[in-house]
Amino acid sequence: MSTFDQILPQIDQALRPHAENLASIGELVINRDLNGRVRLLVSESVRSNETSLKIVNAIAEELTDRLGKHAYPADRAVLFEEDPAAVCAGAPSFALAGFANVRIVDRLATEVDWTSIAPESTRAPRIVFFSIKGGVGRSTALAASSWALAQSGQRVLVLDLDLESPGLSSSLLPEERRPTYGITDWLVEDLVDNGAAVFDDMIASSPLSHDGEIYVVPAHGKEPGEYVAKLGRVWMAKHSVDMGKESWSKRLMRLISQLEDRLTPDIILIDSRAGIDEVAASCIADLGAALVLLFAIDGEQTWSGYRVLLQHWNRAGQAQAIRERLQVVGAMIPDDEGRIEYFEGLRERAWSTFADELYDLIPPGESTAERFSYEEADESAPHYPWPIRWNRGFASLRSLHTRFESVDQAELEAVFGPLLAGINMFSSKENTAND
Amino acid sequence: MKADFLDALDRHWLDAELLHGNERWANADHLYGFAAESGLKGLMLEFGMPIDETKDIPSNEKDRKHADAIWARYESYRSGHHKGADYLLPEPNPFDNWRASDRYASQSQFDQVHVTPHRRGAELVRELVKKANLEGLLT
Repeated sequence: MSTFDQILPQIDQALRPHAENLASIGELVINRDLNGRVRLLVSESVRSNETSLKIVNAIAEELTDRLGKHAYPADRAVLFEEDPAAVCAGAPSFALAGFANVRIVDRLATEVDWTSIAPESTRAPRIVFFSIKGGVGRSTALAASSWALAQSGQRVLVLDLDLESPGLSSSLLPEERRPTYGITDWLVEDLVDNGAAVFDDMIASSPLSHDGEIYVVPAHGKEPGEYVAKLGRVWMAKHSVDMGKESWSKRLMRLISQLEDRLTPDIILIDSRAGIDEVAASCIADLGAALVLLFAIDGEQTWSGYRVLLQHWNRAGQAQAIRERLQVVGAMIPDDEGRIEYFEGLRERAWSTFADELYDLIPPGESTAERFSYEEADESAPHYPWPIRWNRGFASLRSLHTRFESVDQAELEAVFGPLLAGINMFSSKENTAND
Repeated sequence: MKADFLDALDRHWLDAELLHGNERWANADHLYGFAAESGLKGLMLEFGMPIDETKDIPSNEKDRKHADAIWARYESYRSGHHKGADYLLPEPNPFDNWRASDRYASQSQFDQVHVTPHRRGAELVRELVKKANLEGLLT
């Protein structure tokens, strides 16, 4: 019995015998609906062309046999459209490898699908902090980075988009500074065109910065209110008959743009939800991040998770659009004698994941210079983890604000040094590029 | 005979188009109304409209209406379904001035100007049904 993962290989098998004749059909769209059932979409003109119709029907029958419950009965398996390509607009789609003019269109229950990587924002550079697993010190590292950037005189905007598990703002803001509202409130109010009612009261500035500024927009305000009920509406696309549909991700971009107008930050740090989740997809794929930090602790779960993502980008032909923006961060490197061995293991698995899925293959006799490819030990490589050492003092978010109040540069360097150096280098490179 | 709302949408639409092409405004108008009603009821079923299986009609008396009233009922079901946000219809209802009882009116009272918004209304419903079909919402 065919399961979802066999759909693409089975389609490939079903089309292969007809490969030479496919051109006569014109564009062939293969529609995978919300339930993962497959139908063919062809031009209306095929209906009146006996030869083409015969080919399409043969493919449809073949798919019905091969795909079982993932197919429609052959007599309902073909839909005719004036313009099959137009029907795909708005849904994620990709060309089926090995065939010209064949596209797979996916209808997903979620709005975001990781496959359309937005170009880098032309305004303040955005850095996304992402991890496959939670609890690896990602938010703390973000707080430390914002502190260090502000120390160097920059205006830093911090967005807590870990909406399901918020907490970042507590490390940057003392209780009395927390604003009344947060990102969740804005996303809910915006659905009824009421975003302005909360906008002014969702931004706080952190007292931790001395030379620069740290503006914090938390996930929720001082009082979370009916947080669960609001969270269930955050992902809504906004619809209107006049304006059409605006996905929640686009709404979020509109919010960030308004925040940029108001605060004119030099750099934006975004705390993303962990895991292969819809918010994370939006943070990484849609927000035009210039740098995506992939937090990793060494373990099967981490690397199989990252591999799933990288393979998805490959399949959708998007790997090249994102790969130069990725950087692995080694989280919670043990603070004992085992740390060198641990780090080497982490680096090795990071390299093998990147080499398999992202790096170019170097033909014999060619150098790596022209290609996107790195040796395992190359410290400038995106797979080479920027290590963060585990530290008891920074491990608890609860006491983090107090901790940051008394922190000094040397202490921060000892724990977060390579991360801060990496971010500083990135930020000065971006500033030079924008000058 | 058993109701098949989506097939009913297709046949009423196709026949309406034939009549429209021949400037048979009155009966084209009548059929556009039934096309829209059928399509909306097909979608309402997916959005949770209860059906009295023994009589093969909607359980709620308010759902046994024609295009002029069913447009608003559709909205009640649509807005309560998690996929419903993608299936919005414009207001006001283009069938506000359409009545099933107009079938008894003289054909001299119908012209293209009267029919056009009803044709557009039926077309909008067809587009939503097509979308639901592609998404696999209609099983």
